[in-house]
Amino acid sequence: MKLALTPIIESKRTFRRRAAARPLAEKLRMLDALRERTLAIRRASNSGPAKKDVTHQKYDAGKGKK
Amino acid sequence: MGIKEVIETINRMQVAGVIERYAIGGAVAATFYLEPVATLDVDVFVEFHTEPGSQMISPEHIFRYLRDRGCEMEGEHVVIAGWPIQFLPASSALVQEALAKAVEKDVDGTPARVFTAEHLAAIALETGRAKDKARVLQFIEADAIDLDRVQEILTRHGLAGAWEQFERQFLK
Repeated sequence: MKLALTPIIESKRTFRRRAAARPLAEKLRMLDALRERTLAIRRASNSGPAKKDVTHQKYDAGKGKK
Repeated sequence: MGIKEVIETINRMQVAGVIERYAIGGAVAATFYLEPVATLDVDVFVEFHTEPGSQMISPEHIFRYLRDRGCEMEGEHVVIAGWPIQFLPASSALVQEALAKAVEKDVDGTPARVFTAEHLAAIALETGRAKDKARVLQFIEADAIDLDRVQEILTRHGLAGAWEQFERQFLK
């Protein structure tokens, strides 16, 4: 399967352009919503058991191997 | 509760004489020109008064006004309508110019003073963190800034080198 990156990038660009062109009040409401979402993700990631991030797990797993 | 309420509160502070000129900066200001960018706080640049008998600039009268109206402090932020707000002095000549040349935008009938896109880009280049450079790229990609004006601003403030480095790094 070939992944055509150009249309994906173009589609993202179009989405960003449309978001930028929305009325100011609507964009500010989107900021309110984005902040709520970011805080919810932070709360969720802080409430579970402490986990090492993936990079460190990989690094630790490879330690000591020759 | 939301950013619009924050802007209304800041406008009331201006009318009451608690602050003089103000302008919104940072990611919230960038949202006036670009797609919304997730951020956790609002940067409000103001001209600070000196406290009587002191040469030190102080935001105390701002905090007092807001505390008297039920706002809480969170570190160096004041929480208005659920948003942590940081009141910042115009600490460099570039930011002073940005504050003087800020533009008024209409948010559903509420006026909001915001840095121009060109000053936001120049300040981002002066600050120089990765996320600031990414924002400048966003401005360029969205065709939201006049690059000649940005270069004029940077040259005026001795930051032409920062632009050349940015151009070499990302645009050539």
